[in-house]
Amino acid sequence: MMWYPGRLAALITLALAATQAMPARAQEPEERKTGINRHDGRLLISLGLQDLFKAQDTQHLLSGFTSRVLVRVAIFRLDSPQPVSQTMRHTEIVYDLWDEKFRVRRFEAGGRVETREASTASEAIDLATALVAFPVASLDRLEPGVTYRLSVRADLNPISQELLADVRRWLARPSSRSRTGSGDSFFGSFVSIFVNPRIDESERQLRLVSQSWAEPAR
Amino acid sequence: MRFSSLLALLVLLPSLARAQPPAEGVEPTDANSSDGFTLRYTIERIEVRGNHKTRTDLILREVALSPGDTVTADDARVERARLRLLALGYFLDARLSMIKGERRGSAVLIIEVEERGTIILNAIHLGTSEATTLWGGLDVSERNLLGRGLTLGAGFVSSTRPKVDGAEPALAFSLRMAGPPKLQGLLFSGSALFSRGSEFFRAHGASDQPDPADFVAVNARRAGGIVGVGTVLSRTAYLLGEGRFEAVRADWPALQMRDLGQGQSQPIAFLVREGSSRLGSLALTLDLDSRSDPVLPRAGRHLVVSLEAATPACASQYTFVKATAQGSLYFPLRVGHVFGVHGLLGGLVGDAPYFDRFFVGDLNLLLPPRAFGINFSTQPSRDFLGTGVADHRYDKLAGRLLLEYAVPLWRRHGLFYRGDAFAALGIFALTNPDDLRREGASLGQRIPADLTADLGLRLDTYIGIFTLSVANALGRLPL
Repeated sequence: MMWYPGRLAALITLALAATQAMPARAQEPEERKTGINRHDGRLLISLGLQDLFKAQDTQHLLSGFTSRVLVRVAIFRLDSPQPVSQTMRHTEIVYDLWDEKFRVRRFEAGGRVETREASTASEAIDLATALVAFPVASLDRLEPGVTYRLSVRADLNPISQELLADVRRWLARPSSRSRTGSGDSFFGSFVSIFVNPRIDESERQLRLVSQSWAEPAR
Repeated sequence: MRFSSLLALLVLLPSLARAQPPAEGVEPTDANSSDGFTLRYTIERIEVRGNHKTRTDLILREVALSPGDTVTADDARVERARLRLLALGYFLDARLSMIKGERRGSAVLIIEVEERGTIILNAIHLGTSEATTLWGGLDVSERNLLGRGLTLGAGFVSSTRPKVDGAEPALAFSLRMAGPPKLQGLLFSGSALFSRGSEFFRAHGASDQPDPADFVAVNARRAGGIVGVGTVLSRTAYLLGEGRFEAVRADWPALQMRDLGQGQSQPIAFLVREGSSRLGSLALTLDLDSRSDPVLPRAGRHLVVSLEAATPACASQYTFVKATAQGSLYFPLRVGHVFGVHGLLGGLVGDAPYFDRFFVGDLNLLLPPRAFGINFSTQPSRDFLGTGVADHRYDKLAGRLLLEYAVPLWRRHGLFYRGDAFAALGIFALTNPDDLRREGASLGQRIPADLTADLGLRLDTYIGIFTLSVANALGRLPL
């Protein structure tokens, strides 16, 4: 086998990556028991996503700066990758340093905005992450007898794609000329960069699926 | 509404809801707005914590907030500042928070950072070829020298004695330094180098044969450096100017004629002045980058245009102008895969030395590339198209078109942050104005071209970015 510049590093990396890649299979979306009800022509779900927050995040909620939670829910037929319906809830939590209480503001897909106060961090987290009788679809969109499943994604402090792209460009700002590809850089280069996993679409993500259910006849 | 559109709308919501900063002259207030949500604070002082190595003033410069400034709870500058700190590469984590100040409505801004090791591996040079039994080397950088954000990089490569008659073992050192990264203003950089190695020129045999016994060696020593200054023109544009000076010493072999067979021969063009010579040049590079990601892009464009001129005014004994344009386009596909188109066009006018010409190994992914400008191989291009490209090693005109398909394999896993599998297929051409104008020649003879391909993994890791490619192995297959 031929060995050329970078090959050894890459092979070592690949070997280690193989062990790293294994958990990827274990990180398929977790199935979480979800309460499903029908009321007033709508499908309502109840689901707890409090584990989006870790212990250290509670301290960050006290920072005085806004924390954001974005929850997206989609309904899929089991036999199709295309969502039948999708919705979201975006929540902002801010701690008032002087009044020493949390303010929580929730935006829902229908344009409804709700502002609440919370006296503790866990209460604020509940307001942001507990979906209680949360409407996800009109029953008109669900066919009786067909099996469905919910896909849920929650993001803590999502970052806009534009800002994310800016940051990644900051990472890679070239400070030396590359002529015709990587191999001819007589002077070397500074283009190798650090990657920080905290620079991602959000600080933390939670991906879940519900149990599947067959939509009853109406 | 498509899910992606919905997502875009949702991500924009916070900024849409964000309060406007107070108008100039309006006294900031701690009072909540009518919705009880728009909290404003006047920064009383700023505390930086956790920076054992990195200087406080460097961190404060990135955060760009000062005592007396007013911030809102959802101030866009705060998130941007946190990401800027992370993007420096000096920290594992960075957090901004506030605590109550002395007076109601004031706050102390706390910046907490968790430092990380800042030595990264730029490259490992390790290879073997028919001409050189073994070469190896390293290139590393310290990105936060003395806590001042300075980058110091060093690298070397060394080889066994090539099997080409008269060749000497290669040895090269490079030392580089750059100022701290900035969003505005000028960024200075400098490089110094020394290299000793051989370049191989065919003296016998057919062009498609890599036998080192058919080649003679020019032994060259290069010593010099580059000084550069760059500036950010816009969110996507970067301009870099560089001055370069090198002292070159080249020893030509005793055999200076190529045996063409049937009693015919011609002088070998060694493409470098015999004895001592000087090379000085000025270069300007414009980098336009709208990619979604510099390592594993999913969308966007990247264009790098450079122009280098070597003239006697720069104390150069070589006079040439070299222009290169490299562009990439990335198209996201429905299933998360990415289709990329990469193009390169280069032209050179004048008497550039061989190491500044377009080299077949840099264009054809199936051949070993150079390290620190030193070539270790006598392997010609395979000439799949039968255009006689094997005759061309260093030339003045070059072009390449590469189509690439990338499939993301994993994300967010420990040391190996991301990985893509990729496959690429393309065509390149290498020629010169004389061949281009040759009367009676076919298009293939005027513009010798060949196919190139690549297959591998691109890995984004904590210690650098690596590409595992089987292209060179593919290039050795007896097809």
